[in-house]
Amino acid sequence: MENHEEEETAAADLLRDRFRLSTISIAQAEAKQNNMEISEPIVACISDLAFKYAEHVAKDLELFAAHGGRKTVNMKDVILCAHRNKHLADLLRFFGNDVKDKEPQSDKKRKKKSRKDDNATSSVLHIPDDT
Amino acid sequence: MSDSFDPDLIHAIFKLNWSKKALERERNEGVDPIIDEAVAGTSKKNRPTSANSNALKLSCELLRLFVTEAVQRAAAIAEAEGSSKIQATHLERILPQLLLDF
Repeated sequence: MENHEEEETAAADLLRDRFRLSTISIAQAEAKQNNMEISEPIVACISDLAFKYAEHVAKDLELFAAHGGRKTVNMKDVILCAHRNKHLADLLRFFGNDVKDKEPQSDKKRKKKSRKDDNATSSVLHIPDDT
Repeated sequence: MSDSFDPDLIHAIFKLNWSKKALERERNEGVDPIIDEAVAGTSKKNRPTSANSNALKLSCELLRLFVTEAVQRAAAIAEAEGSSKIQATHLERILPQLLLDF
């Protein structure tokens, strides 16, 4: 039993290291875009935060899927994770449509949906013009 | 935009979490009422949750946004303080709001 747990923590450590490597490249690219340097410990710290966040998201996704009576997490569950932050949810929805566009499946559904989205955004955009 | 997380890596992290929780559930069945209630209807055999590939890509994007947002906000503070390197104090300043926003 203990052996098994040790194995599990070893696997988790390995994943955390791989995750950290990805975070380093993302964070440094982003810092460069902002004409900033970023010190190593800060990147490591952000990586740990993101990893914790990932664990948090995993838990949320599982609960959302279970609530929907499913055993498989889908895109809507991920968007639901960001429901508190409207801007973030919109970004994810946009990205999700992009991902869907890349694989030509269920064309009809998507077109309907995107048209609806277009209408929604245009009506929102008109309001500031009038005032 | 080219830099992002590997969906396989995120999948592995999620899976580890889910299987860990499934194991816990198995061990103390009926002890945790919240999780039990949420999952009991769907899992007769405690099969761990899985995710479809689009959902994983979207999760990668979510995590990537978390990282870039952290760097951007810290960079804004660093710039305001006239520093060219992001330091721990800058991250500390933006951390509370960042965690509230995600």
